[in-house]
Amino acid sequence: MRVCTRPPWTRQMPSGNGAAKPQIQFTEDQIERYSRHIILPEVGGDGQRKLLAAKVLIIGAGGLGSPAGLYLAAAGVGTIGIVDSDAVGLSNLQRQVLHATSCLGRAKCLSAKDTMEDLNPDVHVIPYHERLTSANALEIIAGYDVVLDGSDNFPTRYLVNDACVMAGKPLCHAGILRFEGQLTTIVPGTGPCYRCLYPEPPPPGLVPSCQQAGILGVTAGVVGLLQATEAVKLILGIGEPLIGRLLLYNALEASFRDVRVQRKSDCPVCGESPTIVELIDYEEFCQVRSSSTDQVGGSCDYGSN
Amino acid sequence: MTTAQTEMVTVRVFGALRQAMGQSEVRLPCAGATVKDALVQLGQGSNGDVASYIFDKQGNLWRSLMLLVNDEPVSDALCQRTNPGDVISLLLPLAGG
Repeated sequence: MRVCTRPPWTRQMPSGNGAAKPQIQFTEDQIERYSRHIILPEVGGDGQRKLLAAKVLIIGAGGLGSPAGLYLAAAGVGTIGIVDSDAVGLSNLQRQVLHATSCLGRAKCLSAKDTMEDLNPDVHVIPYHERLTSANALEIIAGYDVVLDGSDNFPTRYLVNDACVMAGKPLCHAGILRFEGQLTTIVPGTGPCYRCLYPEPPPPGLVPSCQQAGILGVTAGVVGLLQATEAVKLILGIGEPLIGRLLLYNALEASFRDVRVQRKSDCPVCGESPTIVELIDYEEFCQVRSSSTDQVGGSCDYGSN
Repeated sequence: MTTAQTEMVTVRVFGALRQAMGQSEVRLPCAGATVKDALVQLGQGSNGDVASYIFDKQGNLWRSLMLLVNDEPVSDALCQRTNPGDVISLLLPLAGG
């Protein structure tokens, strides 16, 4: 009997089980650019081709999306979508390293596109200058292999989770506040989803936002890069992704703690008998109602964040 | 190790709860009590805000709170009897990005 040595979640990748290897011929510049990847036995030329063929969607070009986007672009992830309806503000620049002072007032997704494509012209960045909503989420997510949630509010986080579970898309989830970060990788059908961890959002006002409580800029950098690392591992099919584990990072303690989390059979989205089978009104679910200026990405507009 | 130390249970908190408590963990002399009793004791020994992060007005654990015992999820955790040296962890989600 032939034994499959690939982790089961790699079947969901374009270059996973059953999929043809990406047929990309490297240029001389690419061989030099990616030489430190290619020399790694765990990556090699085939792995770099997988990265170049991969499509990653980043929700939010903010504190998490910025470091993740920079490193995914540098790694040669061929297509990066970035959803953000916000504009670059001065208070963003302490941590949102995709944007420069010269970009103040500019749409974040466009600033992000220019920065990432300048860093690596192999990368095609697709900007979505709009909020992710129940009306557009499934359509946008459908075009990508992996989703990375760098949003800044609970309604979007539950929306991204539910949409990824329904679409069967791997999701690299992370959240940050002050000096702390939480990170997990959600592979629908394989491990727990965000609702298995947190069935409901905190009641409005209980958990402060970054705007209210602050965020150490480098904490966002560390956690965003961990998200990017998870995405790269999923694409390459290497290592042990944070499926069924929640990684807790504390910058002040310089500590990482890894706790086990379980899939819940009664989860309304990924459980045995799902009761949520289409996207809902997430602001109502989270008991928040946004104004017309609310954004996904860098600002903390919902008040629950 | 003294008897007093062996009867201790540690409650470790993360996220906004850590900010509300002003510390990352508390040791309580309540080994043998249930997890719920330990959390009630935690709320009573802290300022009024802390209990509101753990229990709703009806005294039920918020569904937004993740409860772990010794870094593991436990079914029906509130009714679980604590053992000396146990670590109860309380996690709130972080929405910031």
